[in-house]
Amino acid sequence: MSIQSRSNPSDIPHMSDGQVWDQASRNHSIHTCLMEMVLSLQQAVADHITQLATRHQQQDLVPEEQGHNQPIWGQEALLGRLMFQMVNHLQFGATGGQKFQPPCPSEDSKGDVRSREQAQVSKQIYKIFYQLTNFEDTSINYVLSNRGVETSALYHGSFQDYNTYQGNKYHEDKNTSGFINLGTSENKLCTDLLTERLSRSDMNYIDDDLLQYSDWRGQPFLREEVAQFLTYYCKAPAPLDPENVVVLNGCSSVFSALATVLCDPGEAFLVPTPTYSDFVFSAHLYAKVDLVPVDLESQVSDANTHPFQLTVDKLEQALLNAKLEGKKVRGLVLINPQNPLGHIYSQDSLMEYLEFAKKHSLHVIIDEIYMLSVFDESITFRSVLSMESLPDPNKTHMIWGTSKDFGISGFRFGTLYTHNKEVALAMSSFGYLHGISGITQYKLHRLLQDREWIDNVYLPTNHSRLQEAHRFITNELKSSKIPFLSHGSGLYVWISLRKYLDPCTFEEELLLHRRFLDKKLILSCGKTFMCKEPGWFRLVFAATPLLLKHAMQRFYTVLVEQEQDWVVKQLEDAINQEVEDLPASDASQSYSREVILTSGLEGCCSDLGL
Amino acid sequence: MPRPRPSSPYSARSPSPMFTLPQKESRKPTTCPGSVSTRGLHSIYGDGLEREAARKPDQKLLYGVGDPTAMFSSDSPHLSSRGSIIKWFWDSAEEGYRTYHMDEYDEDKNPGGIINLGTSENKLCFDLLSRRLSHSDMLRVEPSLLQYPDWRGHLFLREEVASFLSFYCKSPAPLKPENVVVLNGCASLFSALATVLCEVGEAFLIPAPYYGAITQHVYLYGNVRLVCVYLDSEVTGLETHPFQLTVDKLEMALQGAISEGVKVKGLILINPQNPLGDIYSPGELREYLEFAKRHALHVMVDEVYMLSVFEESVGYRSVLSLEGLPDPQKTHVMWATSKDFGMSGLRFGTLYTENQDVATAVASLCRYHGLSGFVQYQMAQLLRDRDWINQVYLPENHARLKAAHTYVSEELRALGVPFLSHGAGFFIWVDLRKFLPEATFEEERLLWRRFLENKVLLSFGKAFECKEPGWFRLVFSDKAHRLRLGMQRIRQVLEGKSQVAEDPPSCQTQEPRGPHR
Repeated sequence: MSIQSRSNPSDIPHMSDGQVWDQASRNHSIHTCLMEMVLSLQQAVADHITQLATRHQQQDLVPEEQGHNQPIWGQEALLGRLMFQMVNHLQFGATGGQKFQPPCPSEDSKGDVRSREQAQVSKQIYKIFYQLTNFEDTSINYVLSNRGVETSALYHGSFQDYNTYQGNKYHEDKNTSGFINLGTSENKLCTDLLTERLSRSDMNYIDDDLLQYSDWRGQPFLREEVAQFLTYYCKAPAPLDPENVVVLNGCSSVFSALATVLCDPGEAFLVPTPTYSDFVFSAHLYAKVDLVPVDLESQVSDANTHPFQLTVDKLEQALLNAKLEGKKVRGLVLINPQNPLGHIYSQDSLMEYLEFAKKHSLHVIIDEIYMLSVFDESITFRSVLSMESLPDPNKTHMIWGTSKDFGISGFRFGTLYTHNKEVALAMSSFGYLHGISGITQYKLHRLLQDREWIDNVYLPTNHSRLQEAHRFITNELKSSKIPFLSHGSGLYVWISLRKYLDPCTFEEELLLHRRFLDKKLILSCGKTFMCKEPGWFRLVFAATPLLLKHAMQRFYTVLVEQEQDWVVKQLEDAINQEVEDLPASDASQSYSREVILTSGLEGCCSDLGL
Repeated sequence: MPRPRPSSPYSARSPSPMFTLPQKESRKPTTCPGSVSTRGLHSIYGDGLEREAARKPDQKLLYGVGDPTAMFSSDSPHLSSRGSIIKWFWDSAEEGYRTYHMDEYDEDKNPGGIINLGTSENKLCFDLLSRRLSHSDMLRVEPSLLQYPDWRGHLFLREEVASFLSFYCKSPAPLKPENVVVLNGCASLFSALATVLCEVGEAFLIPAPYYGAITQHVYLYGNVRLVCVYLDSEVTGLETHPFQLTVDKLEMALQGAISEGVKVKGLILINPQNPLGDIYSPGELREYLEFAKRHALHVMVDEVYMLSVFEESVGYRSVLSLEGLPDPQKTHVMWATSKDFGMSGLRFGTLYTENQDVATAVASLCRYHGLSGFVQYQMAQLLRDRDWINQVYLPENHARLKAAHTYVSEELRALGVPFLSHGAGFFIWVDLRKFLPEATFEEERLLWRRFLENKVLLSFGKAFECKEPGWFRLVFSDKAHRLRLGMQRIRQVLEGKSQVAEDPPSCQTQEPRGPHR
């Protein structure tokens, strides 16, 4: 899977000039992973202690609720798992020479003797660990399948911050020292509007049909509404057909099911990176489909008229490389408006990508989940469904959901629109596993039906609030000279903190990420988006002004500390150098490095239009 | 229009509806034209060969390793190999429900439409539920319900589920919210458990006949197969009732599967059983659990009908009520509101397991099986309302179920049709073997089709992997007028047909049993 490709030897150039990990350069990626884990472990231990401490306090205050044990247990489990993984890695590092496997054992267990062996060893270690630590009942046997272990580990790796946040959320009155989450892309600006709309009496209808098994593709009344809604907001040239609509409990589910029916295990989709991390996750967990990254670069050049530009050449190249590696590529995944870049593909570019896909008979999955979150009115977004004629309609599949555009991720609603009846029918089988409650379907139907409210109340308010929040954040970033990308859509800005990384590696990126966490601020780091260049972060701005202000204070505190540490480190280095080889002039050398670093970034700023 | 498909013929060795009937009972996939040509199928799904079940000298079929792809026979240019199989699952399951959905009975608008006695749904208490769900306490909208949840389910709901199960399962000690995972139905739970407990191609044991949709649930994503432990209607040896599950049968099936190189990771028990309506006594349950422990198998106990035991003399015991489970770390309990609260459209299911590795791994997949925050809130409100449940809902529901059951069983008796039923669940397991001119699954299907043509939908035994042709599941939890009409239509078919039977095999009518069952 694609996470692997990030820790593959191909990545080493980014880290090879690192000075921290100079010995044992044969296996940088092991160190990366161990580093991540040591840090996670450190964090988890710290959290655990805090949790225990606060729990004592709480016990004094209120009679303890049962639920309080939950986070503590979670942390203990996490500690166990992390230690187990580290032991596992050390074991393999020690045997040497073996190709490193990422934090979780390879999913491709079929015929892969090594991964089987590894899994065996893992199981033993796991078992030993549990027995040694008396972590739980020693009679525990190893109970999960390899993929079960991997699922848990991958989940914890990916959502650890999120879980931490869930356990200790910032609240302006009750918990001002809690975590501020600018990492999860949620729109919290319009909960007042949504709460009001969803509380109206028309939402509370119940009848027998809603309580019974229904059409597994979604209730007919909802599919009709979705077809009409998309016809209108995507400006489809002809009315869309409810029979082409499949409704499931979220876009992750749609993507997972779609990947399963379009690819066999081990086959792949092309995906321009950086990309939405959930798709990396969803392609892998159930579907076992690989993502082949089409790496985009921030550097502007002749071929790259704007940072992270996607071109057909790059697609061709990535496809060719994948083929050379023996990967069977079945499709191309596009996100428009793009996440995390905020890009919007022009009609022409979109057409080029679709033509490319047709040429190679690839499916195209287009995720337009931010289509109504284009808040800059000077920008025209064109949905793929608005095109007069698609190059290959039978292989073009569009995904949309209400999580982002209506800020109701807790609703669990995602939909697929495809002209391909076979795909729609195959997807229907998943209605069992990804079904939505009839009551929820009814509410969604009412919500999508209320065009007057959407057009006259919700969208204008949402857009103006997004604009305002966006303006606040971008002004802040500009005044602190932090380069960023943003195109008037989405809920986030893509910021470059490369100048705060020395050396500019993914280890340092992770360390900086941890620093933010120490200050109770959650951002998403570029690596989780499969970004090829270290130092990028995604910052979600769709939060209240007050929260954003607090968040930015924490943000600056971290950056200032980071800079101070850097200066201290330079001085120490310089002193050490001077002590070692007097009378060399290393101090000036280090100064000149700073100059280079800064000037390099100025260049970068101008690339980014700052 | 797609509908749930308990009566669907998609299970391992069902005759595929793609072939025109009548057809030869296809027992070997080599007779199936498409399976060999299916691109890449073999490398992904194993050898694609259906394994012949072992037979005793007396030719008794003891077990069968299911291979859901064995009958698969189509391929698509747009879908992956597994996508084609998944679509085929869908297509092949649709016949009954497509027909039903195009011609649904409606008292006023379509009195000549099809009556559905095939889907196991409780349609007797919608009035109570609609009223309860419309109470003002259900209508709260809170911002936190609109946002991404804890993927295990909101804590307030997990706390409620734990206390609900403690109470209704009569657990010796209070159950803990951290052992609860909430998701959108038991189908999802089967899928997630299969994935985190088994590797691709591994298997669970399941006593057959069983609720056939599980085949698909564990296969779709998990690629896990089911090894049937075949039970039969004949009472032999020390057995006390038809279709009795014994440890011997479990052992035999397990050894058989192992001898074929199939790795078995767990055992699925449905209690109260679907479609038999059996209830396992605590003694039996413990024996099965001990068997599983001996072989280090997980046990998934599906108790989705636990509150639908309408015969008070039947002493139902949840596995969670047992003191000292043989292997608590490998015992996983499933429950949902689909049946007991007659809300299959609500999509709420829950796992209770003491094994935190399993709970965490399942929760890791809950991203794909989440349910709306509102519904979680409503479920918490509903489960909390013990007064309503104990004083209004359960007594009324049980009385209505009992009345409907009495009516249908009397009708069947009047028709001279033997059946099994034990005072639990929504269905009666009906023995129509004497109405088949030949004891084959083709004939079973033909009879099923005649029912459908006479506008009543039932589920045939093959869909439950029953090894004896001629059994049908009849759902009785429907409103009186529909039930009456449905029974009338069944009678018409059987009376027009019954003279065909030459030598009716004997099977005793089973009355609801005493407390020992």
